[in-house]
Amino acid sequence: MPTARDSPDPPLSADAAVASGAPGVALPVASGGDVDPPTVAVPAWTVAEGAAATEVAATEVAATEVAAGPRRGRSLAGRLARGLGELLMTAGILVALFLTYQLWVTDLFAERTQDHLHQQLVEAWHKPPPAPAPAGDRARPVIPPVELGDGVAILRVPRFGSDYAPVVVEGVAVADLRRGPGHMPGTAMPGQVGNFVVSGHRTTYGKPFNRIDELKTGDPLVVEVRDRYYTYRVTGSEVVTPNRIDVADPVPKRPGVTPTKSLITLTTCHPKFSASHRLIVYGELVDTTAKSAGLPAALKGE
Amino acid sequence: MYAWLYYHLPGPRGLRPVVAALLVLALVALLMFVVFPAVESVLPGGKVTLSN
Repeated sequence: MPTARDSPDPPLSADAAVASGAPGVALPVASGGDVDPPTVAVPAWTVAEGAAATEVAATEVAATEVAAGPRRGRSLAGRLARGLGELLMTAGILVALFLTYQLWVTDLFAERTQDHLHQQLVEAWHKPPPAPAPAGDRARPVIPPVELGDGVAILRVPRFGSDYAPVVVEGVAVADLRRGPGHMPGTAMPGQVGNFVVSGHRTTYGKPFNRIDELKTGDPLVVEVRDRYYTYRVTGSEVVTPNRIDVADPVPKRPGVTPTKSLITLTTCHPKFSASHRLIVYGELVDTTAKSAGLPAALKGE
Repeated sequence: MYAWLYYHLPGPRGLRPVVAALLVLALVALLMFVVFPAVESVLPGGKVTLSN
């Protein structure tokens, strides 16, 4: 009768016996203990010869693996658990994909649109204006009315670096704001007496107004239009509830008052990724520079 | 569910991974370009304007 001592190769034969599909390995598990424990080395052929009954080295673990094999995933409970697990994994992947979309893909969309808008706007500015504004009249709109979603002006903020130059589009509908910061229709155009109101995304879609909480009183906001630069200076900022539409009045928060100054008001959501409040930044026109005279002082330092 | 889907994919066995990858890509594209843009308008994060 062959025993482990006959075996020429001592190592790990219990697993090998199972792996090689030797019959009878799973059966004698319970009878273990009546043979000397060190007989671990059993090559597959010894087991196959029937010696397995005494070679208990094939432990409970191996036996369980063999027994579990054919039944896996067959019972109703098992299938339900598996289905539930797959559903939960699917939900997790969906959430991860949505975050990827919000934090990354929308920025890509906006970047493409902004490149396109830049090109369009610069091209339009190089063509002669359709109806030339009377020279020297600052109170009249310099820019002809634009279609919703079209570019109105380029906003430059030296504090955000020289690369920061989003095209402000006309309109504040969801679709307009996905293209860039939007000028609220009906409020003053750049440079006009009144309030030039611009709303922009704080997060997602290129997040143009992501950092406007960093603006400090006195910071320049330069608005570039066809033939000139309007330099505004920040006069203050505050956080308000979303229903405070009076910050968009010609004179902010003083409805009905006739404006005498050219103002700018930037609005965005606050805090980031929330709709609970709005962050408002106010500014006032301090300087108008013709493009023929070169860059305005606020942009020269770059 | 996924195992069932995988084994019911059309085409010869060797092509199944390719078909599965294409299906996943198509699904991701559908989400990114159609479903998510529609869904996010309902979510609060993007509201930046003032309203009553």
